[in-house]
Amino acid sequence: MPRVKRGNKRKNRRAKTLALAKGYYGTKSKSYRMAKLQVEKSLLYAYRDRKAKKRDFRGLWIVRINAAARENEISYSRLMDGLKKAGNDINRKMLADLAVTDPGAFTQLVGVAKAALTTA
Amino acid sequence: MVSEKDVRHAWYVVDATDQVLGRLATRVAKVLSGKHRANWVPYLDTGDFVVVTNAEKVRLTGKKTDDKIYHRHTGYPGGLKSISVKDLQVKYPERVIEAAIRGMLPHTKLGRKQFKKLKVYKGGSHPHEAQQPKTLQVSPARKAS
Repeated sequence: MPRVKRGNKRKNRRAKTLALAKGYYGTKSKSYRMAKLQVEKSLLYAYRDRKAKKRDFRGLWIVRINAAARENEISYSRLMDGLKKAGNDINRKMLADLAVTDPGAFTQLVGVAKAALTTA
Repeated sequence: MVSEKDVRHAWYVVDATDQVLGRLATRVAKVLSGKHRANWVPYLDTGDFVVVTNAEKVRLTGKKTDDKIYHRHTGYPGGLKSISVKDLQVKYPERVIEAAIRGMLPHTKLGRKQFKKLKVYKGGSHPHEAQQPKTLQVSPARKAS
């Protein structure tokens, strides 16, 4: 049987891996051996963190909503309870955005929640 | 919602007289870390400066005045140093409050940076009048029983 050399295939695959490893630290961006390991791991982290990102942001919004809520003398959990009871299904992303960019509107929402809590 | 490095740090002053140590510390730690404001970001120090006065008059509940001991280790064999709250409050009353608050901040570079915004003094006066600190509201001081 004739001997098969992988010339272009190998070259292309290595070039692709090294391209993905651009900007990595030290040999991780220069040597194919090291780059391959790091690229595998990096793609794994990227996959995981695309999902973790959603949790991270929800956490961040809650911290911000809580801070703004406490300035209006209500705790985060009471505020969310009140909004729910008032039938207001505004999401946390928007609430947090309001808290930063439009504190007046946020205060109004707090008023809605407080009213719902006292009537219930 | 992008907060750049243009965060401005306000100044607050709080009187520790008859405040319970931990209750005071949680409040102050929150302000130092910036989590009391809606523009908080996890990677920047967005907190405010806090001046604590009358550090020696802070209150401890239960038997802590007699029982609580601070330990540290020098790194050498047999290098464990211990001091009771009682002694520390006589010698360096500021450190009792500092230790409580430091433990409540993140143990990271950012946490250490946030901690530097804390100024604790014994006695009622402090050298930060030029910053015109506002009074920080803590839960009402408990009456000494």
